[in-house]
Amino acid sequence: MEKIYCKIEKCLGCRSCEIACAVQHSNSKDIFKAIRETPTPLSRRKVQAVQDIIISDSCHHCDPAPCVYACMSGAMYKDENGATKHNKDKCVGCWMCIMVCPFSAISRQEKIAIKCDLCEGRDGYACVDACPTKALFTKEVSET
Amino acid sequence: MKYLIIGGSAAGISAIEGIRTFDKTGEIILVSDETYQLYSRCLLSYYLAGVISEEKLKFKEENFFEKNKVKKFLGIKAEKVYPEEKYVLLSDGTKLNYDKLLIGTGGSAKLEEIPGKEKDGVFVLRKIDDAKKILSKLEQTKRVVVLGGGLVGLRAAYALKARNCDVSVIVKSQQILSQMLDFSSAKIIQEHLEEKGIKFYLGLSAKEIVGNGNVKGVILENGQKIDCGIVIIGKGVSPNLDLIRGTNIKTHWGIVVDENLRTNIEDIYAAGDVAETVDLSSDQPDINALWPCAVEQGRIAGINMAGGSEKYDGSLGMNSLEFYGLPVISAGITRPKGADFEELIKQDTKNKIYKKVVLRNNRIVGMILVRKIEKAGIFTTLIKKKVNVESIRAKLLDETFDFAKIIPLIKEKKEIFKEKEYQDYIFTSK
Repeated sequence: MEKIYCKIEKCLGCRSCEIACAVQHSNSKDIFKAIRETPTPLSRRKVQAVQDIIISDSCHHCDPAPCVYACMSGAMYKDENGATKHNKDKCVGCWMCIMVCPFSAISRQEKIAIKCDLCEGRDGYACVDACPTKALFTKEVSET
Repeated sequence: MKYLIIGGSAAGISAIEGIRTFDKTGEIILVSDETYQLYSRCLLSYYLAGVISEEKLKFKEENFFEKNKVKKFLGIKAEKVYPEEKYVLLSDGTKLNYDKLLIGTGGSAKLEEIPGKEKDGVFVLRKIDDAKKILSKLEQTKRVVVLGGGLVGLRAAYALKARNCDVSVIVKSQQILSQMLDFSSAKIIQEHLEEKGIKFYLGLSAKEIVGNGNVKGVILENGQKIDCGIVIIGKGVSPNLDLIRGTNIKTHWGIVVDENLRTNIEDIYAAGDVAETVDLSSDQPDINALWPCAVEQGRIAGINMAGGSEKYDGSLGMNSLEFYGLPVISAGITRPKGADFEELIKQDTKNKIYKKVVLRNNRIVGMILVRKIEKAGIFTTLIKKKVNVESIRAKLLDETFDFAKIIPLIKEKKEIFKEKEYQDYIFTSK
């Protein structure tokens, strides 16, 4: 499957990816309207820093995926390509996934978990397209 | 190859998936004493509360057994294992032989030895039938007493409060959730529940359940009587070991398994709430009767039964809860006893925020997060990896603590963070 990576020395921490992600996951898909939506659309990607490192990070679609095994409702699952997906209709907000995600890549939005869905239904990825320095890039990873 | 799986919950179902990643054709037989299948026990309190329908209790697709070519014996109990002859005797007299056996019989709700526990209106909450019986009793009464302030007890209390019941919880210890939280964090959760009308009686045991036939009330050890029509006993679970009694399968707290999830008998494996593994925070043998542990153990046992070789490092006691919008997650040792432990604590009681990390020799061995839970997985990872966190300990409870803060550790200790997801950080930087 194709995964999204961040080239650490290219990331300036501008957070364009976070905004693009939040807008992509809004109802309107329009930044000016998205701001006023309830609940406020949230980014699945987080720009973080330590020492001289800045990185934009999100779900790694781990294999095996701790969140999938921890999910007690069957909401978190692997699709046929190996992407870690989340069925919000099955989610009860028990936060077992948050408890085990090594990257802290899952957040709460009201009563359910949210995470990177690889921009389902969109051609390409909002965060990658929005990255002005091309720090975010995609790479095909072979199935194990 | 003939695989026999006893128990159809998290461990058993996950083992079927584990086996099928390696062996697409071998015969798989599942024995379960429950007829209703593929449901998640952990969701029962949500079902009891009316938050989800019966349909949503299912954690796997309806055609799971067909897809994985599993033959089922449902509603039948596995009575006894005969390791020498390699067969299992079922309650209906059937003898099932096997090449590889998985014992995933789980645990049963402990029934407190209390006079009156046989009365109509006394329940546990472990199986779907338990939930259904409680629901039908609600048509007659809305007064509930829960015996036990642990996870199951509180989840049941919360669910029945959502059903407009009058709920009192009797807790033997001086705090609720004593297996999961320390005193201060437990107090935050307790007060939060009290604000919503759930009543607590701490440091008290129930002496007797009274009523003639039907439950009429509970008498506490101090003589106080609480009127109720329903009593729910939430006193934890004990492993279902009956079927291996008298065999030479090694037990201690539960069935002792090695890093392959194998028992001392070749070809017999155990996983889930019945299996005793090494606890990663205490380094001591223990049963961590938790959904995530059961799934992981089942999967690895299945892979190893089918000829693969995957190692299980051990289990970690951890739990996650949310009551009325206030989430809490804890893991490992949360109430340390001894001079070699250190506690880092930040709290803001007014806003019901509490963060604690427990360290031993600069290794994280436990944590509690109330309200601000989103970094929980980083802490559980650090507990499991047993890594020295001295270089970042000052940052652990900061508001700005996030995954990036442990990247230097990952780079330094490549041999510990060996999964490819961590190696990504090395390949994406100089």
